[in-house]
Amino acid sequence: MAQDMTLLWGSGSPPCWRVMIALEEKNLQGYNSKLLSFDKMEHKSQQVLDINPRGQVPSFKHGDLIINESYAACFYLESRFKSQGTKLIPDGAEEQALMFQRTFEGLTLYEKMAAVIFYTYYVPEGERLEAALKRNEEALVAELKLWEGYLEKLGSGSYLAGKSVSMTDVVVFPTVATLFRFGLSAERYPKLGAYYALMKERPSVKASWPPHWLENPKGQDTLKDM
Amino acid sequence: MAKDMTLMWGAGSPPCWRVMIALEEKNLQGYNSKQLSFEKGEHKSKDVTAINPRGQLPAFKHGNIVLNESYGICLYLEDQFKSQGTKLTPDNKAENALMLQRMFEGLTLFDALKQVLFYTRFVPENERHDSAQKRNAENLKSEVGRWESYLQGSGPYLAGKTFSLADVIVFPVIAFLFRFGLSEEHYPKLAAYHNTLKDRPSIKSTWPPNWVDTPGQPALKDL
Repeated sequence: MAQDMTLLWGSGSPPCWRVMIALEEKNLQGYNSKLLSFDKMEHKSQQVLDINPRGQVPSFKHGDLIINESYAACFYLESRFKSQGTKLIPDGAEEQALMFQRTFEGLTLYEKMAAVIFYTYYVPEGERLEAALKRNEEALVAELKLWEGYLEKLGSGSYLAGKSVSMTDVVVFPTVATLFRFGLSAERYPKLGAYYALMKERPSVKASWPPHWLENPKGQDTLKDM
Repeated sequence: MAKDMTLMWGAGSPPCWRVMIALEEKNLQGYNSKQLSFEKGEHKSKDVTAINPRGQLPAFKHGNIVLNESYGICLYLEDQFKSQGTKLTPDNKAENALMLQRMFEGLTLFDALKQVLFYTRFVPENERHDSAQKRNAENLKSEVGRWESYLQGSGPYLAGKTFSLADVIVFPVIAFLFRFGLSEEHYPKLAAYHNTLKDRPSIKSTWPPNWVDTPGQPALKDL
């Protein structure tokens, strides 16, 4: 099954990392894994465009089926391989609802993070404004406080949507890891810090850790004063 | 079941409309429906923030369960009420995969739309740039063109032969485009999709009340 799968990905991209964690959690190691370089613009190469006309990664194929949206690929893998690996979608109404709630709030967390750490990537030089970046930083702080609160409410040792790992962790952990890679302080955000330390040790996360983060363990300090 | 559900919504909002379509499709009419006014700032009222601290709509309760993300609500309703109403997730593997692909591409379409139509709402006056507006318009044009080509390839629904969650989630965004003047001549496949689905009972019965018998706006007519 996994040999019929191909994933084109870039190191450190949270959307790519989500799919890799999902593949590991569903016991689908052995897929064809193609690491591409963003710096060399390989995400715009023909091999990507053949699968994903948007020229974006992750690009994912399973046989003839193509799914290029990270959340879509994760939901696809859970649905198609429900009976193997980790169960990522709880059955019970309350647990399921919380999982869906946090999973989709994860999009907001990612956007607010990207609006700060990728500000100069998204905004052309002539349009950048300190006031706008400052506003984005304030929005990210408010968002982080929400997530600290969510973890506090669940109690120590919990995952993002409850006592067990779920789809929420698959799709949101890469964002949390990126926050710490960019210097977020675990002292200021202790619940997120504890969650990060917990998930870091999980086999699926270890197996898919961004290679260039292993090569350069020191990240950036963009968020250290946040 | 529906009596234990409450939905707070605002007229014309695609995220709210999706949930209303899903509730109809799953035969959950009879939920407590609370329409609020964005213009009057009612989405920031205590009634809403008590359910959704973010002060956003839709805000949805099912008994003690709270869910305020439109995609989450639609997926929850489809799973929890699997055996009633319309089956919104196709059995066919290829259609199912395409449904998921299009559902999540729907986020990109809605973002592109918001960057154009809500530019002056989101960007303070002294931060606006013509270059940004031009770029956003080109981006929306290319995105809408992409969806036009999707409907050329497959159809009549977004995932193929069957109405699915992809339509529940993305139709309100497409309807929004036409409400704001998208040209049926420029985008005939999208227009045909829009005109066919307009008559679907779940969509007809949840059509934004402020759109009925009033003209739309022409912002996108030249796109």
